[in-house]
Amino acid sequence: MNPLTDNSPTVTRRHFLRAVGVTLALPVLESFQHRSYAAGNTQVPRRMVAICAPLGIHPPFFFPEKAGRDYAPTPYLETLKEFRNDYTVISGLSHPGVGSTHDSIFSFLTSARHPELRAGFRNSISLDQFAAEKIGDQTRFPSLSLSAEGFGLSWTRSGALVPPDLFPASVFARLFLNGRPDEVQAQARRLRDGQSILDTVRDQASTLQTKLGSRDREKMDEYFTSVRELERRMVVAEEWSRKPKPKVTVPPLQNNTVPADLIGKTRLLLDLTHLALQTDSTRLVSMLLLGTSQVPPIQGVAMGHHDLSHHGQDPNKIAQLRLVELEKMKAVRDFLDKLKKTEEQGGSLLDRTMVFFSSNLGNAANHSTKNLPVLLAGGGFKHGQHLAFDPNDPPPLSNLYVTMLQRLGIGAEKFGSSTGTLTGLDAAA
Amino acid sequence: MSPRQTAVFVLALAGTQFGSDASGADMRPFFEQHCVKCHSGDEPKGDVVLDNLTANFAEKANRELWERILEQLETGAMPPKAKPRPPAQEQRAVCDWIIAQVTAVKAKLRETEGRVVLRRLNRNEYENTVRDLLGVEVKLKDALPQDSSANGFDNVGDALHTSSFLMERYIEAAQLALDQAIVNTPQPPKSETKQVTLHDAHQVRSSTEKVFRKREDKSVVMFSSSKWVAATLFYIKDRGRYRFSISASGVQNAGKPVTFSVNSGGGGMGGPKAHLVGYFDAPAEKSKVFEFFDHMEPKTSITILPYDLPSAQSVSKIGAESYDGPGVAVDWVEIEGPLNETWPPESHRRIFGDLKQKSAPIFNQSTRVEVVSDDPAKDAARILTAFARRAFRRPVTDAEVKPFVALVAKRMEEKSSFEQAVRAGLAGIMTSPEFLFLRETPGKLNNTALASRLSYFLWSSMPDDELLALAEKGGLGDAATLHAQVERMLKDPKAAAFTENFTGQWLGMRDIDFTEPGARLYPEFDDMLKASMLRETHLFFEELIRHDLSITNFLASDFSMLNGRLAKHYGIGNASGWDFQKVSLPAGSHRGGVLTMASVLKVTANGTSTSPVTRGAWVLDRILGTPPKPPPPNVGAIEPDIRGATTIREQLAKHRQTESCASCHTNIDPPGFALESFDVIGGWRENYRSTGNGKPVTIDGKKMQYFEGRKIDPSDVLPDGRKFANIDEFKKLLLADTDQFSRALTTKLIVYATGGAVEATDQRQITEIVAKARAKNFGFRTLIHEVIASELFGKK
Repeated sequence: MNPLTDNSPTVTRRHFLRAVGVTLALPVLESFQHRSYAAGNTQVPRRMVAICAPLGIHPPFFFPEKAGRDYAPTPYLETLKEFRNDYTVISGLSHPGVGSTHDSIFSFLTSARHPELRAGFRNSISLDQFAAEKIGDQTRFPSLSLSAEGFGLSWTRSGALVPPDLFPASVFARLFLNGRPDEVQAQARRLRDGQSILDTVRDQASTLQTKLGSRDREKMDEYFTSVRELERRMVVAEEWSRKPKPKVTVPPLQNNTVPADLIGKTRLLLDLTHLALQTDSTRLVSMLLLGTSQVPPIQGVAMGHHDLSHHGQDPNKIAQLRLVELEKMKAVRDFLDKLKKTEEQGGSLLDRTMVFFSSNLGNAANHSTKNLPVLLAGGGFKHGQHLAFDPNDPPPLSNLYVTMLQRLGIGAEKFGSSTGTLTGLDAAA
Repeated sequence: MSPRQTAVFVLALAGTQFGSDASGADMRPFFEQHCVKCHSGDEPKGDVVLDNLTANFAEKANRELWERILEQLETGAMPPKAKPRPPAQEQRAVCDWIIAQVTAVKAKLRETEGRVVLRRLNRNEYENTVRDLLGVEVKLKDALPQDSSANGFDNVGDALHTSSFLMERYIEAAQLALDQAIVNTPQPPKSETKQVTLHDAHQVRSSTEKVFRKREDKSVVMFSSSKWVAATLFYIKDRGRYRFSISASGVQNAGKPVTFSVNSGGGGMGGPKAHLVGYFDAPAEKSKVFEFFDHMEPKTSITILPYDLPSAQSVSKIGAESYDGPGVAVDWVEIEGPLNETWPPESHRRIFGDLKQKSAPIFNQSTRVEVVSDDPAKDAARILTAFARRAFRRPVTDAEVKPFVALVAKRMEEKSSFEQAVRAGLAGIMTSPEFLFLRETPGKLNNTALASRLSYFLWSSMPDDELLALAEKGGLGDAATLHAQVERMLKDPKAAAFTENFTGQWLGMRDIDFTEPGARLYPEFDDMLKASMLRETHLFFEELIRHDLSITNFLASDFSMLNGRLAKHYGIGNASGWDFQKVSLPAGSHRGGVLTMASVLKVTANGTSTSPVTRGAWVLDRILGTPPKPPPPNVGAIEPDIRGATTIREQLAKHRQTESCASCHTNIDPPGFALESFDVIGGWRENYRSTGNGKPVTIDGKKMQYFEGRKIDPSDVLPDGRKFANIDEFKKLLLADTDQFSRALTTKLIVYATGGAVEATDQRQITEIVAKARAKNFGFRTLIHEVIASELFGKK
């Protein structure tokens, strides 16, 4: 069943050109895309979901012992058995120069070196934002940065955090609900106020730039670039705002208000992601799962997840940790299942969506950042194997990122600390 | 010599002339022999190309490549293991040369551009500034993305970046804040006084469990501390300031008071998170009225919950009517508000003065009014000029305000009303770089820049009217005036931001919630203990400022600020309840100073186990200012083991036998071992708590779920050979040489106060500040004055 009702009106190119005095290379909007696609264009939309479990995944329950296609499933992979040929499990990878602390989360999708250094660290662009620069204008939302934590995984080229979306209900509203007429009107006025404001402060910044020393000027350049980028986004957003939003048949998602409900929150974010992909509202999603210190409402679990991840080899704690992580794996399984069952013009959504599930920690018990647990599902690769690399001399995780970028149709040769693409992972014929 | 004339150090080119030392001529053979072969050509290894590397360190990208090379050499990652090693001496010379070049260029940059890089307001500062600029309480911080830190603080300009996403949030935040500062109703929301009993609380009304005793006098007794039976009261309709009072007494507690907590501002399902108002001690059998004020958002409420009483289940098993344990009897709760002194409120008049409002209904607000003007151009210019002066924290010229006046005119042409257009202009000013960045020009700061530096240091916010007016008159040039202003500012309630943000980062207090110790190992841990820990550190910090007590108190003190909960936790005295007081620490308390505060001990542990490495590294970084180098990439961290068969000391012993590990661990581990006598919540311990091996433990007749594990050994040897047996002896060793600590603290104060890193070339000035403070007995307030009077503070 396809809950999508395509009721897009015709959009004329002319609409684009009323703007704020910025000259733009204008993107092709969804309606064109959609029509040409339906008319037999064979270019398949490619998508990516990058998920991080910030408290690691207990390695012995995750990594198979044997490399290759006939590995015996581990307890966590057993959960995904029906998808065995839809994913690849990869061991040994890590980000070079990313130290063993929780701060490694900052570099998870960026691979920037030494986030743990207190003297100062400058982040680089994250995988999803890099991709959004290239293919983000094909959809209403260039990307979504979802998070069940206070921060997120996505970073801009300037090294600033992309503010993550913390409330699924608001994202749902943004994606699918049309406001009351007075709200729409007020919003339109604010948008135009915003455009005038940007116009004014841009000029102010360019006057300022000339008066500053090189290091200060760098800061003002960042400001100036940010203003320009926002102006550009606002023009596109205004155009999209004239198109009705896609309709979905599910009731609006509600926020999960139980602070400790790790699994409920995970499932909610995954459901939201499924809806966003299915309606082609965005093709790029980053998602940081909860790493709560509170006790999650799971049968048999009496301690917080963070506490359990520091199990200190206590068998009781490891047993509880297993329960928590199994539930997480089941949520991933159900997500893969939904994607697989969603058809899109002759293919399954899963075949067109790379689901990258991993953690910034290889072993959360001692904050090790070596041997990160990596699962890559869907996206149209030759799956069904355990790709094993030597944890003591691995290729950078970014090599996988380059492979993923290329799968998105982006001709990137390099990303972050990459040294090439990841060997052994090939696209399906 | 201009950068262009610098001799180019192109490695792949032969025969280039190398002259001076800075040209790197002597270094060339090293690179040719060990680096260039792999890192050049069409397929350079690791995608690192050294072909175009030059000796022009002034060029940023080139300099950063050098810094990467340096890191590779210093960590031994390059040349790769399979290749011949360069002689150690040669490699050292190359590293030193790179360091010298980088340092020289940076020093030169600082000379011309100043030490501090243009600073954007961080999100704390932004929220506070908007509050003080507009005169409204608006929670904006959480709508802005988290800021990055450098050198331990999130107000360092270098690390504060801007993005289009942030700009979008700034515009939205400004519009939101202006919505609250400017009013569109002709009358204030009606202020009401309402008295209710707990019968009105949803939990009491609808609970089927028998956990509340409803007495004839209308009071309700609460017997349980289970969070889900917290009594939630009121459902605020109009935003504003409210007065609350609660009449309560303690019952059935052998004549002792019973404590309860009040939280406020929670929005229930998906709404804002509540904050703690405080813990209150309800006196035995005699009602007392507790009063507090709070700013409330619509749809939020307050909740009342007894402290440290049994679970709702165990009360309801017996039934509240016959239950004979302690409880809190709440007679009534009163609310008054919103408390508006004038209408339109001060925030509105601050912008529009006495401009009249006229009816401007929209479809669902028939009584709506808007500000109107007979002379829009003139009024807009006047409003925006006054606003910009305060927003930019300095006098403004007409030319600077003109673009914003033009913005208003443009929006009016586009059919916006006067008020709407002015709002756009105001929001524009609040999005301007002059508002969002602290503008300083190289050299000595002018008076207004100095005023801002001062207020962002002590208040994390903009200068107030008095400070700004004084700065505009050039008054801060006078040392006595500056001193008096600092004294005034430290006494102002806004100085709480200094306590919170500085200790939040220096001592890691912001991480207090990062882990939640499990109930099995640490059943005594609770929310009140956590809140008390934080408060002790804050109050201690403020006590040193208030009475100008020596900073050596941070290392070891004979007093602390305790309440009943902490006194119990520390095993000191028999105070009870929430209220804090200065307490003289008895001999053998093992407390005093920040290292042995429960808060610090908690944030340096992981909720399950402690690690001398983590705590030791923390002490080196935060207290001694010598953060250890990160471990080499291929060394695994120790896996904690709490089963009781092995201790961390045994695990570490192996580690320390390896020579390459020992060189750092002889520095890192000793302070960590001294702190091993304290568990993950800062309790004193003689033995580890174990989940597997050990003797059973019984406390107050109750069998604990943990066992008494192996004995703690807190002794160790400092790198210089001085031994200590325990934390008390360790603190004495710290006190024997306070120079390193005072330098470290001063350095951190300078970084925080100015938003710029302290580098090697600044050490002389740090020495001067420390010397001056030492001459005045190292009083903490004195040190703050000396920091402010220093050149590092007074210059960009």
